[in-house]
Amino acid sequence: MPDCSENYEKEISEGKNVRNVMCKYCNSVILTPSSASFTSFEYELPLIRQSKTNDQNPKTENVSLFWAVNDMFTFQNVGFSNTVGNNKYLTCADCEAGPIGYHDMSNKMSYVALTRVIHN
Amino acid sequence: MAKTYDYLFKLLLIGDSGVGKTCILFRFSEDAFNTTFISTIGIDFKIRTIDLDGKKIKLQIWDTAGQERFRTITTAYYRGAMGIMLVYDITNEKSFENIKNWIRNIEENASADVEKMLLGNKCELEEKRQVSKERGEQLAIEYGIKFIETSAKASIRVEEAFFTLARDIKAKMEKKLEASNPPRGGHQIRASEPQKKPTSWLSRCTIL
Ligand SMILES: Nc1nc2c(ncn2[C@@H]2O[C@H](COP(=O)(O)OP(=O)(O)O)[C@@H](O)[C@H]2O)c(=O)[nH]1
Ligand SMILES: [Mg+2]
Repeated sequence: MPDCSENYEKEISEGKNVRNVMCKYCNSVILTPSSASFTSFEYELPLIRQSKTNDQNPKTENVSLFWAVNDMFTFQNVGFSNTVGNNKYLTCADCEAGPIGYHDMSNKMSYVALTRVIHN
Repeated sequence: MAKTYDYLFKLLLIGDSGVGKTCILFRFSEDAFNTTFISTIGIDFKIRTIDLDGKKIKLQIWDTAGQERFRTITTAYYRGAMGIMLVYDITNEKSFENIKNWIRNIEENASADVEKMLLGNKCELEEKRQVSKERGEQLAIEYGIKFIETSAKASIRVEEAFFTLARDIKAKMEKKLEASNPPRGGHQIRASEPQKKPTSWLSRCTIL
């Protein structure tokens, strides 16, 4: 699914998330309103569903819209994967669906992809 | 940015390999997202927010990366830990006997005032039980810690265990705070605050 920024316009107010950021699959609350900042850049994020045969080369998609979180304890509920390269991937803390985004170990920033979550 | 929580507790699970730590801490593994990217990499820790007696508490819960197999749990892993769940398997005598060794390991490596709790896991496997509940209780009394039997598989009392540990850490911290900062007028905060039913993630999800 391609990103479409227009769909998300109403989710952003003064650069912050208007509503709760929640898991698509189980509705677990990941971020509470106005706790994350909207940001946009290109990133190759592995797909949530992978076939068993591509463990070594996970399929990715280009995502470009993110909620940026500078203190990991801002998250309401979230899982951090083991480190891969310089990143940890973010998951739902309840059903473990992910990656819903990633955490950059070098600058300690976390980024949640808008297309991998729902807003409610 | 303003802090959005009152307390942050780092919690660990310790015990022999195979007792069910990963299942207790994370999730029983036979679920929908099993064959995906994340389950291949594995999860390092989770952040959970709970509401305890009107305070917002962030729990950062860590899994061992299997180091316990080699008894190489080091000071680094224990650093900053405020609570430890000591886990044995009620169907495995050896895992119960090893709790003593784990407690020694904790005493050597963790901060002296870390809050501990004993969990007898896999309690739904009554027909395979090797360790009676009484022996678990007795050991806990010996060490002056709390004890609870759980089942990660059947989701029995896992949430209760985490709330109990978090509540005890909170009480300890508030006591410390009070000691260093005595309230005027002789008002005392009671150590055991009224118990509130958990309403958040723990009661909603089947497995942690
Ligand atoms: N019957 C039963 N099996 C469990 C329970 N908890 C964990 N297990 C199983 O015990 C095995 C080891 O669990 P795991 O969480 O990997 O243990 P760890 O080595 O301590 O992390 C796995 O096969 C689990 O499915 C439980 O409460 N009941
Ligand atoms: Mg494990």
